[in-house]
Amino acid sequence: MKLEGEYVFNGPREEVWALVRDPEVLAAALPGAQSLNKVSESEYEGKMNVRVGPLSGVFSGKIVVSDEVPPESYTLSVEGRGSTGFAKGTGHVQLIDRGDGTTLMKYEGELQVGGKLAGVGQRMLETVSKSMTRQGLESLNQALQARMAAKSEGQEEGNYTPPSEAQFAAAVARDMAGEVLSSSRVMWIAVAVAVVIVVVAVILISRGGG
Amino acid sequence: MKGKWIGQPIKRNEDPRLLTGQALYVDDVDMPGMLHAAFLRSDYAHARIRSIDVSAARARPGVVAVYTAEDMADFWRPGPLIVPPPRNVEGIVFHARTQIPMVKDKARHIGDPIAVVIAESRYIAEDALEDIVVDYEPLEPVVDMERALEPDAPLVHDDLDSNLAAHVVQEKGNYEAARAKADVVIKRRILVDRGAAAALENRGVVAHWEPKSQQLTVWDTTQAPIPIRNGIAAMLGLSEHQVRVIAPFIGGGFGPKIMMSQPEEVLVPWAAMKLNRPIKWIEDRRENFIGTTQERAQIHDVEMALTRDGRVLGVRDVFLHDTGAYDPYGLTVPLNTQSHGLGAYDIPNYYTEFKVVFTNKMIVTPVRGAGRPQGIFVIERMMDLAAKELGMDRAEIRKRNLIPPDAFPYRQEIIDQAFIELVYDSGNYLPVLEKAMAMIGYDRFIEEEQPRLRAEGRHVGLGLVTFVETTGVGPYEGARVSVESSGKVSVVTGVGTQGQGHFTSFAQIVADQLGVDVRDVRVVTGDTAQFHWGTGTFASRGAVVAGNAVKAAAAGVRAKILKLASKVLETPEEELELVDGQVRVADIPERSISLGELAVMANPLRGAVEPGTKPGLEATDYFGPQYGATASGAVAMIVEVDPETMMVEIKRFVIAHDCGTVLNPMIVEGQIHGGVSMGIGNSFYERLVYDDNGQLLNASLMDYLLPRSTDMPRRIEIAHLETPSPLNPIGSKGVGEAGAIPVPSAFAQAVEDALADYGVEILETPLSPNRLFELLSARG
Repeated sequence: MKLEGEYVFNGPREEVWALVRDPEVLAAALPGAQSLNKVSESEYEGKMNVRVGPLSGVFSGKIVVSDEVPPESYTLSVEGRGSTGFAKGTGHVQLIDRGDGTTLMKYEGELQVGGKLAGVGQRMLETVSKSMTRQGLESLNQALQARMAAKSEGQEEGNYTPPSEAQFAAAVARDMAGEVLSSSRVMWIAVAVAVVIVVVAVILISRGGG
Repeated sequence: MKGKWIGQPIKRNEDPRLLTGQALYVDDVDMPGMLHAAFLRSDYAHARIRSIDVSAARARPGVVAVYTAEDMADFWRPGPLIVPPPRNVEGIVFHARTQIPMVKDKARHIGDPIAVVIAESRYIAEDALEDIVVDYEPLEPVVDMERALEPDAPLVHDDLDSNLAAHVVQEKGNYEAARAKADVVIKRRILVDRGAAAALENRGVVAHWEPKSQQLTVWDTTQAPIPIRNGIAAMLGLSEHQVRVIAPFIGGGFGPKIMMSQPEEVLVPWAAMKLNRPIKWIEDRRENFIGTTQERAQIHDVEMALTRDGRVLGVRDVFLHDTGAYDPYGLTVPLNTQSHGLGAYDIPNYYTEFKVVFTNKMIVTPVRGAGRPQGIFVIERMMDLAAKELGMDRAEIRKRNLIPPDAFPYRQEIIDQAFIELVYDSGNYLPVLEKAMAMIGYDRFIEEEQPRLRAEGRHVGLGLVTFVETTGVGPYEGARVSVESSGKVSVVTGVGTQGQGHFTSFAQIVADQLGVDVRDVRVVTGDTAQFHWGTGTFASRGAVVAGNAVKAAAAGVRAKILKLASKVLETPEEELELVDGQVRVADIPERSISLGELAVMANPLRGAVEPGTKPGLEATDYFGPQYGATASGAVAMIVEVDPETMMVEIKRFVIAHDCGTVLNPMIVEGQIHGGVSMGIGNSFYERLVYDDNGQLLNASLMDYLLPRSTDMPRRIEIAHLETPSPLNPIGSKGVGEAGAIPVPSAFAQAVEDALADYGVEILETPLSPNRLFELLSARG
């Protein structure tokens, strides 16, 4: 599966570079990431909760950064395994200074998945991957804003709260629904789903009581 | 040979039990102390296993044992070569690599078993699978058949020089000479892709070892209980009489359940003995996609040589056959493709060559049709292309080439899956084709309806094909028939039943022989404690081979009844008749004795009997045909394609078929309905999609599409024509696979016809809406 795209960060290239090379920020920003540790200058190890359609499970794996040209480009190799299968990929990331204080990130890569993830999750995989990438980048951008704001105020740490896993999951679901339905219909479905959940909850609670 | 019961649409004896939930399936077996097994299967299509750490899984509460190949020690051995290659084909190459119980060195396909967990519940077992850490070294997989044969391709089996599993060349006449004389030669590449058997009930095994009686009982969703009993006994070092295999009611077989000594079938009984506890394993749907055998992928490069007036002089077909990671079932499937490559036609010259290729995909063994649909797809597509090339009507070109009725037995001069020369025993093909044409209203559709609908802008098309089906192959089956003192009759046979209606059709055969009501005949199949000999239910052979064994045994009992009754009633045998559970003197019906009374007399408790007397009204007999009986048929269908969505609607579906003597038309129709639905799946819905890494991308029923009732034609119009087979006393031929064989070729022709104005040529199956869209887009 090919993953490629572009994203504009509201900040200078050096700041973006520093951000994407900071494991703590990455761990906070990556959807489902539980931990990410730097094992060497170019290697990270971590755990990530991946949820695709009916499948969910913890993946443990490593990320290797190579061909680094700070602050312009680098190559990422990702390898992860978990009870729902495995994923392996390489991606090339480019940061382009747009000259107006913003930075254009271009990325392209190949992702290979296997096991249940491929066999049962295939249909949802592309949407989920894209959604996770988009969300990851958005929260990185928010982290960037927070960091820059803090700097301008002379603080050490930025005041950035990464989104919770539930927020991520909701966003993935929204993206998936958006793939097949127009946004107005999504609203209706969301309302319908909410109603069903409430009804089921009421039934369960009343049964529990009786 | 219609009788009071044979040939009648009798309602099935087994249905009340099935419909009221009283039928035993493997998953219904429940025993105190029973444990549950779950298998860890490879996520990689091709990977070396560096190490497996099962310590955490073993430590999980509720886990009783975790086994890997290493734990099996001497019990680890590759399974049997179920079907060896024929010895009488000259120059045959065959490399046997049979299925292994668990991966030792490397995983060769997605789903290859790596470890088994035995736990107090399936939930615990499944959780424990997640505790197992396998250190894989991923290897480059071979997925594409042509790539697999390139010299630098990775090897599925490192001890072989290449991925070539087998190579077979057979020739009838001389194709090259025929080609030199031909007016027209047509050449195409035709593709058939993989599908699943997708039985409603997945596989399952329950094993129970009783140490005090030293008896092992195995409930198994198998199509071949007796061979599996023998295999399990041999592996565990037990006597065959210590092992009882029960194949109870089974929710569909379709081929993969013939497979013997599959990992689960070997490991569950082995572990049950080791742990001294009953163990159950029930396959889940994803396991069925990655752990149960599949079929159909082939690439054909085919050539047809014809005269200008449409006589086919010869066919040359060179094809690749994908066997997946192992080839335990030998060459049955590609040999069947070879033997159906000439279809119902009298073609004097035939060069047929195939190479079987190992790939990093699930193992290929017969699935309903078993190579036959591919052969028929190729020959029928070529007939259509030839008709177009010659500007002939597609029905006409077929008529001109059909084997004439006086040519039977018709020799094909090649060796078939039964290791003997393929001979079509009997048939009358033209009336079958004409019947299908009449039923669909061929001429009227072509001349009036289609032009009218086309003028309205609708895309309607017709498909018309013929087919043959080799059925009822040997070696043999047996049966024992006994009249009990109640007057009721018991029949036991070694085959198993997966929905074929044996409890009724076998009862009909016996009822006619013994003059009893069909409901008074109790049939037992698939229990090795009841009958010791046999092979199994496959290759459309139950009604032919086991059916005739039942008839022979019943005839033996009839002879015993007449002999004894003649003494009791003091009347010559010729003057007796068997009616309504009585033996009576034909002219004096009131002089009679019931079968029950006779049965008691035949099994006296006191007194002396004549020397040489065998007790009871019981007989055992066997039947083995000289060679298989060949059934035939024709399918006609009308479809409409929606050019916006590329969805295909089947407007009408007609099948005229000849399976010799029909035992029970209702059961035969049921078989055809099921076969047709599978054929429709193989035409437009069912395709197993593997990616370049050997990952199966649609391993669930969310993504692997089975035809639903709404995808089926509203009615399947069936005509039975009967040309009895001279090869067996009943005159029957098999029908189990008939429906599945012709449909893809008829469907492709009909869709091509519907899209005639786009000039698209369909050279592959299965199709899909998106594939049709691609084909049309490619035409511009």
